[in-house]
Amino acid sequence: MKKFLAMLLAMTMMFSLAACGNGGDNGTDNKGGGADAIPDTMTSEDGKYQVAFITDVGQLKDKSFNQGTFDGVKLYADANNKSYKYYQPANGDQATDDDRYDAMKAAVEGGAEVVVCAGFMQEAALKKAAAEFPDVPFVFIDGYPVGLDNVAGISFQEEQSGYLAGYAVVKEGYEKLGFTGGGGGTNPACCRFGYGFVQGANDAAKELNKTVEMNYSWEFGATFSASTELQTQISGWYSNGTEIVFACGGSMFQSVAAAAGANDGLVVGVDVDQSAESDAVVTSAMKGLSSAVQWAVAKVYDGTFSDIGGTGTALGAKDDAVGLPTATWSMKTYKVEDYEKLLAGIKDGSVSVDADYETGLEQDWSNVTLNII
Amino acid sequence: MTFLIQQTLLYAVPLLLVALAGVFAERSGIINLALEGIMIFGAFVGVLFVRLMQGIPFFQNAAASKNWLALQGMELLAMLAAAALGAVFSLLLSFASVNLKADQTIGGTALNLMAPALVLFLIRVIANQNTLGMERGDASSWFMIKKSTFGVERGTDWGFFGETFANQVYLATYVCILLFVVLSILLYKTKFGLRLRSCGENPQAADSLGINVYKMRYAGTTISGALAGMGGFVYALTTANCAATGDVAGFGFLALAVMIFGNWKPLNIAGAALLFGLFKCIAAAYASIDINGDGVCMLATAPISAHFYRMMPYIITLVVLAFTSKKSRAPKAEGIPYDKGQR
Repeated sequence: MKKFLAMLLAMTMMFSLAACGNGGDNGTDNKGGGADAIPDTMTSEDGKYQVAFITDVGQLKDKSFNQGTFDGVKLYADANNKSYKYYQPANGDQATDDDRYDAMKAAVEGGAEVVVCAGFMQEAALKKAAAEFPDVPFVFIDGYPVGLDNVAGISFQEEQSGYLAGYAVVKEGYEKLGFTGGGGGTNPACCRFGYGFVQGANDAAKELNKTVEMNYSWEFGATFSASTELQTQISGWYSNGTEIVFACGGSMFQSVAAAAGANDGLVVGVDVDQSAESDAVVTSAMKGLSSAVQWAVAKVYDGTFSDIGGTGTALGAKDDAVGLPTATWSMKTYKVEDYEKLLAGIKDGSVSVDADYETGLEQDWSNVTLNII
Repeated sequence: MTFLIQQTLLYAVPLLLVALAGVFAERSGIINLALEGIMIFGAFVGVLFVRLMQGIPFFQNAAASKNWLALQGMELLAMLAAAALGAVFSLLLSFASVNLKADQTIGGTALNLMAPALVLFLIRVIANQNTLGMERGDASSWFMIKKSTFGVERGTDWGFFGETFANQVYLATYVCILLFVVLSILLYKTKFGLRLRSCGENPQAADSLGINVYKMRYAGTTISGALAGMGGFVYALTTANCAATGDVAGFGFLALAVMIFGNWKPLNIAGAALLFGLFKCIAAAYASIDINGDGVCMLATAPISAHFYRMMPYIITLVVLAFTSKKSRAPKAEGIPYDKGQR
């Protein structure tokens, strides 16, 4: 009887909460347009999912890298009547290569005609899975060729995007900047973003004939997740006078935005236009994840995948794949026209942005006091 | 200095409250190892409550028009909801250890294992991911008390105390401190408190004087669950941007350490929690702490590795425990299921 009572207690609790949960869910659906209007999970009639997406570490709805990539999958699938599904490798932030491989295998066995894999950490798993299923095309976002014809490596010239953001905020008048990146300094995309950000700030400061300060940190973001420590650290920066922080890494944005909200600081978003997430966002260093995914997946279906399969494609300003959001422009001193002029300069090569962060970052910057933490 | 005090309080207050939760359970004779699990559960319930409330137009208008009375009321309600369900969750532990006379350590561990799994499962059902955050906005813009909350310009100087204790703070912090004081008095200066403590020292003697040991133990554990649940939500609100992830970064276990460290006495616990909070804060923000306000961050310029600062909270714990553990004295009957027949 007592055991029965305990069971009953546990069950009641679960059901009452689950009921609350459903209520909350209905409230979140169907707001906004575009990719957000397309549900994250769909049920296909034949149980097969044609376009599969394997997430990187961090959350699917990180309002950044994973979400931006998945938006491309959803938009393509929705427009072309394909079924789609996302697969999150097991063990979350501690996912191993085996977990990722299992997710890819599950995707292929689930009827995937193309598998989109996000994040350079998928390389080892991708090599194994792509070799095992040579007939399935894989799109490797933030990736590079892995020596297999059915893998298309797509990377971005993040340094250009970071450059544009760094240039813009210094031209806007901010003098104390911050950068906090994910992956603990091992993620090439984040490293390029950060290196570009410093170059942009340096060039703008040189033109304005002043020196700006920058805190540059890889601490507390190794797993791209929000953390108490990160929030405290960034709060410390803001309370010490830092005006604007570039939050470069998925869900880390949450911690930085929370610190900014508490200290009336400002934030530069990453990967996608994050201005809707917080009032503190001034601009975002974007890369065209969604459009790149749609472009690559379309190549699978129109039979031209062999153009990009087996090779690496680097998308940059010349492909309109990097930039700042002009539709939600909030800067006053630095105008959209100025930005477009600079962007054109990067496109035609008159403004060059270096991508070699390993040797370039720790140089003596002429107009930036770089404080690497 | 202001920054240091504020951040220390943010870390210390959840520890304080949850350590007191541990005291209530252990003083009544039940080892509550489930603090971590209950915190996780409480954080989830509180965040879910906030999310649901955010769906109500009244609160959306309140946020838009900076009606801080409504928002602070909502924060308090969320704390109450977290406390209530934390108490319900802890009933599982009371039931196992009082009625079934099961091993309390195992029962608590079971809850610790169950809570993250249950919470993650529910979060996945609700939000289709591993984190349950606020529906809109962030914790600081909704709940934090700032100068702008009262319509005061940002630049106005409120003096040291105003800046430190009235600007950029959460009401939850003060409610927790108040609760801590009130409950400590309850434990030491009232009839109920004396009876509760007697059940943790010598339940047979207490029973012989007509105190219902089972009821007292239920009361202790339930208060414990409520406090831990509330502490979990306060942790999520103030330090994690009001997000539940099925994880509270081990604060429940830290609270247990603080409790032992504080020798099961409220005042010592307050000191221990503050000490620990201070070093947690230094570990995360050593590079931007300016103690005397001269613009030089002493700790960052000192030639000490960053890893050292991050080790500090744990080194300090070890050192202090090594020195104080000789005097430490746990409630005598804790962990022993009460058996009426055994006198």
